[in-house]
Amino acid sequence: MKARARIRLAVIYVSAAIVLIGTVGPFLWLVSSSFQYERQLLNRPPQWLPNPIVLDSYREIFEGAVLGEASGVPYQSRIFLRSFANSFFVAGSVAAIAVLVGAYAAYPLARLQFRGRSVLLFGILASRLIPALSLAIPIVLVAKKIGMSDKIISLVFINLSFILPYVIWLLQSYFKSIPMELEDAGRIDGCSRLQVVHKIILPLSLPGLTSAGILAFLLTWGEFLFALLLSESPASYTSTVVVSLFATDVDVSFVSIITAGVVSVIPPICFALVFQRFIISGLLSGSLKG
Amino acid sequence: MNFRAANTRKEMSPGAMAILFSAPAVLIIAATILAPFLMAVFLSLHNWNLKRPGRERFIGLENYSDWLSDSDFWNPLGTTFTFAIMAVVVIVAVSLLISLLLNEKFPGRGLLRALLLVPWAIPSVVNALLWKWLLNPQYGLLNAVFFELGIITEYQNVLGSMPSVMIWLVIAYSWIHIPLATLLLLSGLQTIPDDIYESAIVDGAGVGQRFLFITLPMLRPMLSIVIIFEMIFALKVFDIIFVLTAGGPANATNVLGWQIYTETFRKLDFGAGSSIAMLLGGITLALAIIFYAFLDKGVER
Repeated sequence: MKARARIRLAVIYVSAAIVLIGTVGPFLWLVSSSFQYERQLLNRPPQWLPNPIVLDSYREIFEGAVLGEASGVPYQSRIFLRSFANSFFVAGSVAAIAVLVGAYAAYPLARLQFRGRSVLLFGILASRLIPALSLAIPIVLVAKKIGMSDKIISLVFINLSFILPYVIWLLQSYFKSIPMELEDAGRIDGCSRLQVVHKIILPLSLPGLTSAGILAFLLTWGEFLFALLLSESPASYTSTVVVSLFATDVDVSFVSIITAGVVSVIPPICFALVFQRFIISGLLSGSLKG
Repeated sequence: MNFRAANTRKEMSPGAMAILFSAPAVLIIAATILAPFLMAVFLSLHNWNLKRPGRERFIGLENYSDWLSDSDFWNPLGTTFTFAIMAVVVIVAVSLLISLLLNEKFPGRGLLRALLLVPWAIPSVVNALLWKWLLNPQYGLLNAVFFELGIITEYQNVLGSMPSVMIWLVIAYSWIHIPLATLLLLSGLQTIPDDIYESAIVDGAGVGQRFLFITLPMLRPMLSIVIIFEMIFALKVFDIIFVLTAGGPANATNVLGWQIYTETFRKLDFGAGSSIAMLLGGITLALAIIFYAFLDKGVER
């Protein structure tokens, strides 16, 4: 019996080790590569750990942003930090607005009896079934016509509508989990419905609101299609667009490309690991990355 | 005092409140999803090429009939299906195995589950960049590993030929999709009560029998959801193609998403692009419904 338990544990840890290598290995190699000299990257067999730790490619990004063309670094490196800030602006705005607008939309869906409730909920969810590629064509056409192309505010607006259905779904299921008695107690104490939302539902839903905001931030941060199609200059490039400019350019050194990749995933990975509890609970309550 | 105030104040009806509260969200969604969708339908029925301005005209279903008799539709459709089927199989199989592992109790389980979020959080474009580096024909880590292990005798350019390009594309794509599928399947596994397994053990059922006759049937609702969602995602693959293969080599990875992109934004034929996008949307929706009916029926039985 004891031998069996030992075998079980051995099988578990061998599989866990394989999963661990498969999960974080590829990314760790990217990080390790970013701290090496370009010539070390061309070694056969490869050098597993950076020795010495080289920060040149990271410095390039800062020098390029500050000095511009005078820095002599590739074009993509010069515009990278700007795109990083753009990503922060777009993802942060989308997260804040989506949670605010989504919470108000989710409350009646979770708690009120009115005609058309299920139609509204279904309509909001079904909007996500339409492939983004088919929507992209008219959106780009109209954006160019009305002068909204190449503006990050357009990206905020577009991303918002793709994120909102998830946020509404997640929040309405969260609101449903709050005991009805608390709301009734508030009503008896003389709160209006609006006060019930502001003083009871929203404060109690802080974990749910946090999950929704983090998911909205992460999904927007990684968005590529609309960021690509609605941007024409560094003024509106997000980090995913500049990463694609790096990755499809054969003239840029490997280490610059790799470093851009690493830097652009620092915010999402930090967020994911710090808030993992919120994210996992948010994902499991019906929201899916798309 | 307060109680009376509440009773005398005129309260909004639930319907009015629902309209007021959901109006901002509904307006945003209508402006950026519903309106563009109707316009995409409109474009798909027109000859609309930005290279030839002033020549836009209504042509009915001609764009659609043109596509349906064009190998530039059928070949990418086949490639899309090949990719989607392979991706769904890989994602579901691997995430099922990982979720079974994480359903066991062992020290370090929570850490492993948390680390699954690392690939999940990586944007698809950065994922493509990562695999481009791992698979580099001269300096890629995977070439080095396979070479040192003696599996290959010289470095390979796996993205340069079929079928290896499709296999590695599927692996790279699956890598960031496995974590979410794993978490969903794990949550499904955790709803299966322990006492069912215990009585099965009493009845003498082995590991394999318990998996086949308890785990799989009980997991079926969640498996169906994962399969349907992963299929919908895989059919519209685009980002990773853009960075990793650009539809190549020799059109081997030219999926419909890529075909729509080149048709619309490189050839600037918005009419043809819209109609092929509608076809992809229709096929996706039809498959989702068929899968749902088929997988769901099994659940009820």
